[in-house]
Amino acid sequence: MLGIADPQIWIGYLLAVGLTLLCIIYGAINWNKGDENDGS
Amino acid sequence: MAVNTLVLSVSTAIYLAVVIVLAYVGYKKTKKADDYLIAGRSISPIILALSYGATFISTSAIIGFGGLAGYMGMGLIWLTVLNIGIGIFIAFVFFGKKTREIGHKLGAVTFPDLMGKIYKSEFLRNASGLIIIVGMPLYTAAILIGGARFIETTLSVPYNTALIGFAIVVVAYVIIGGLIAVMYTDAMQGTLMAIGMSILLVLTYIKLGGVSEAHSALTSLSHLTPSSLASAGQVGWTSMPSLGSPLWYTLVTTIILGVGIGVLAQPQLIVRFMTVKDNRSLNRAVLVGGPFIILMTGVAFTVGALTNVYFQNTTGQIAIEAAGGNIDSIMPTYINAAMPDILIVLLMLVLLSAAMSTLSSLLHTMGSTLGHDLWHKANNKEASLRTSQKGTLLMMIVSVLLAYMLPISIIARATAMFMGLCASAFLPSFVMGLYSKNPSKTAAKTSLITGAVVWFAWTAFVHIKESGPLGISQALFGKATLLDMPWPVVDPLMLALPLSTAALVVVWLLERKRIAPQTKESMDAN
Repeated sequence: MLGIADPQIWIGYLLAVGLTLLCIIYGAINWNKGDENDGS
Repeated sequence: MAVNTLVLSVSTAIYLAVVIVLAYVGYKKTKKADDYLIAGRSISPIILALSYGATFISTSAIIGFGGLAGYMGMGLIWLTVLNIGIGIFIAFVFFGKKTREIGHKLGAVTFPDLMGKIYKSEFLRNASGLIIIVGMPLYTAAILIGGARFIETTLSVPYNTALIGFAIVVVAYVIIGGLIAVMYTDAMQGTLMAIGMSILLVLTYIKLGGVSEAHSALTSLSHLTPSSLASAGQVGWTSMPSLGSPLWYTLVTTIILGVGIGVLAQPQLIVRFMTVKDNRSLNRAVLVGGPFIILMTGVAFTVGALTNVYFQNTTGQIAIEAAGGNIDSIMPTYINAAMPDILIVLLMLVLLSAAMSTLSSLLHTMGSTLGHDLWHKANNKEASLRTSQKGTLLMMIVSVLLAYMLPISIIARATAMFMGLCASAFLPSFVMGLYSKNPSKTAAKTSLITGAVVWFAWTAFVHIKESGPLGISQALFGKATLLDMPWPVVDPLMLALPLSTAALVVVWLLERKRIAPQTKESMDAN
């Protein structure tokens, strides 16, 4: 994939990008959750 | 360095002026001990994320580990996977929220204070404090030396002047503005780091003809792997080393798992979760933290590996040869050779930022531990701003002395050693403290002692990278390591963390067994 033959490497890259997206999506979805007034 | 000295000096002066302004803002906002120790629990999520990230990423993560990727290849990307998955997502979403809630409820202001209050144990507070006071100066000395060497070569300042000057600038803003100044400067430094590393990645791919082209060119260089590396297990720069080879063990156990897991139990990072007022801030910080880390380590490891293609194209050498055999010189040599002047200046400030942000946070953590947790509590006094400031100054002096006294072979191992020690000693009891309704003090003590002792024993007598330079095993038993392969290349964390976890679980179960009949007897008696 993208010039990298070893799946152990490109899976690492896919996971790194996927986890970054997870952080972005998690932060966006929970942007307003966990306010000090809502008790969570 | 090829860059005009005037441009470099002016840029550095502007950068330092911004640091001074932010230190002044910190000073104005620091009125009492809580402001100094945990920034008054009112830091914004973006500043938290950038500060956490900039503290997390030191110069060694970019220069040292980037160079290591130039030497060993792209397998280091797995460290980025753990940096984001564990160091950001799990750290903020699971550990961060609990730490904030419990820290706030108990009024904890430092990591040892938090451990002491969760377990209602002076022993745990003092033991955590001692591990920080003993272990962290080593890591701090490593950051100091790295920063000073970098200033020496880029600004042509004599080494001693660079080291002392660097130490004075950082200690001054930590003492004056406390954690608020530390986090504000971290955020500014983090922003510079994100911009600089993004440009570095884009320009590298442009220089090498595109993403796939650059990777394919790197794959095609596998036949150039030096024989010493090939015999240790290297099969190319776009492949993992052979499973079970010495290189594989070092990459997987020390670099990927050791540093990747170690981050969860770093006192200077944990304290940051207590600086925000609610969990919403932590949710928002995740959005910034993930992309920040991939821009740091992800870019450093990718560009580091790709320097082989650049040097092959321009000099006919692989990266380690072009850097004169020194892994730490791969990234600076590449930046100086391949990047335009203006970017060299920016990247110089990026690297200075990475060193300063980590150094200031370590210093603040050591100072508050010494002043607040050890000195104040021993004397039964309320926390005061002045004592933490004195503690910070004293710990900087200790770190500077260590930087002069310790052999470089030990300093080079300091980052991985400190992370391993923290994870082995603190992680199981910290997790139990956060998640158990009735955490066991005895189990936590046993786990902390087991983790620290096993980690030290393995470091001093088995793991060759530390046991060799330390010389304790050699002096006592006449050989650098007591066990045969593969044990000398298995990181201390791989043994110490499972054992400290097992100690915690076993003691906790035994205690429950002992308490259960007693409870039943007392219920029967009633």
